[in-house]
Amino acid sequence: MPQDFPNPNNEALRSSHRTTVNTNGADDMGLLTRIQSGDQEAMSALFDRYGTMVYSVALRVLKDTGEAEDVMQEIFVQMWKNPSAFVSGRGSLGGWLVVVARNRSIDVIRRRRFSEPVELFALPSSTNLAQEAERNSLLEKIRGVMLSLPVEQQKSVELAFFEGLSHSEISEKTGDPLGTVKTRIRLALITIRKALNV
Amino acid sequence: MQALTPEENRDVQAHLDECAYCRAALSESFVDLAVIGMSAEQRALPEGARERLMERIAKTPQEPVVTPRAVTEFPAREERDQGFGWLGWVAAAAALAIAAYLGYGNFKLKEQLSENRGQIALLAAQADRAQELTDALTSPAAKQVTLTESKQPALPVGHATYLSKRGALIFVASNLRPVSADKTYELWLIPANGKAPIPAGLFRPDASGSASVILPPLPEGVEAKAFGVTIEDAQGSTTPTLPIVMAGQ
Repeated sequence: MPQDFPNPNNEALRSSHRTTVNTNGADDMGLLTRIQSGDQEAMSALFDRYGTMVYSVALRVLKDTGEAEDVMQEIFVQMWKNPSAFVSGRGSLGGWLVVVARNRSIDVIRRRRFSEPVELFALPSSTNLAQEAERNSLLEKIRGVMLSLPVEQQKSVELAFFEGLSHSEISEKTGDPLGTVKTRIRLALITIRKALNV
Repeated sequence: MQALTPEENRDVQAHLDECAYCRAALSESFVDLAVIGMSAEQRALPEGARERLMERIAKTPQEPVVTPRAVTEFPAREERDQGFGWLGWVAAAAALAIAAYLGYGNFKLKEQLSENRGQIALLAAQADRAQELTDALTSPAAKQVTLTESKQPALPVGHATYLSKRGALIFVASNLRPVSADKTYELWLIPANGKAPIPAGLFRPDASGSASVILPPLPEGVEAKAFGVTIEDAQGSTTPTLPIVMAGQ
């Protein structure tokens, strides 16, 4: 087994994936349930909660405010049309939205059809960003950890995440050996996980 | 996962359905993605973004909820959109009618084709037979024998078979005396209606004195009173030159 992939049967490790932040997951689920009933106020509340985060990710990838808003709108409209796409018990809605925002933005860059697989995969019940205070706190912490990474690791991670490049593409772009790129990304992820206890 | 082709995606998904370890590993990766995504510097929303979204939300219908074990219910007949329902039936009926018509047409064509093939086979057989007959009558290798009642020297003799309806004539002659190189025998059809003799073909005897005229171009429907043979110049003639060297009726 790859060493950088934890053994899912390790109970202790699984429990370490839960953050120490007090969260109220029911808030997100409650909103989604109301949205499913056609409650536009609930939709508005959901947007207030996660709109900035989604927009920021899209903007970071696309570097264009218009396109970033388009992506953000599409995500929330889709959420309105089909709230059940995020299945209850699949973990953090905020985290899920961030990944979707990233993927949709990459799709725009590559001019491909919107990818769908993210909706099909479960996120563990770890980070929950329903509470604004905890959310802001966590975002600050994450940002700090990223900025503390060695420049090469940070650059590799950002190329992979915010520009959607594969390891090979990063290697080609930077001129670094493929193995080096893979190692940098793996080390960066390990550092992030340790720092955030995720 | 975006790096995978749709086919690869399907393969991976199929594996993930079976492998809990890989599902967990992939989930871990998504956590990583979520965390990294959250490291993006938080930027203020564009002016009016919220209002634009909610305006769009107000105009966007929600998709019907499908429960995991829900059975898709088809609306009752009377609940269907009557505006287009009957058109659908009409279209279906028309399609069926066209299909039936085309199918019948196809059947008839096949029948006709089969019949044509039979006729072709028959005609081919008849053509073979006719060729065989012609060969037998005209081939240099065919033996021409004149039968007589006594041992008298054989005289020139000819035999004509004529079918007036088709204007078909077969003439076979034997024991013919040779003619000079600038001359030829010519056969004549003497019409029963008293009109002028019709040229029926040129012939020259071979070494054995035999000759034949097979299906010369003759008008149809001319009843023949008699047939005659004259000797003409090599290129033939449109009117017989006396004397008539052979005749018969």
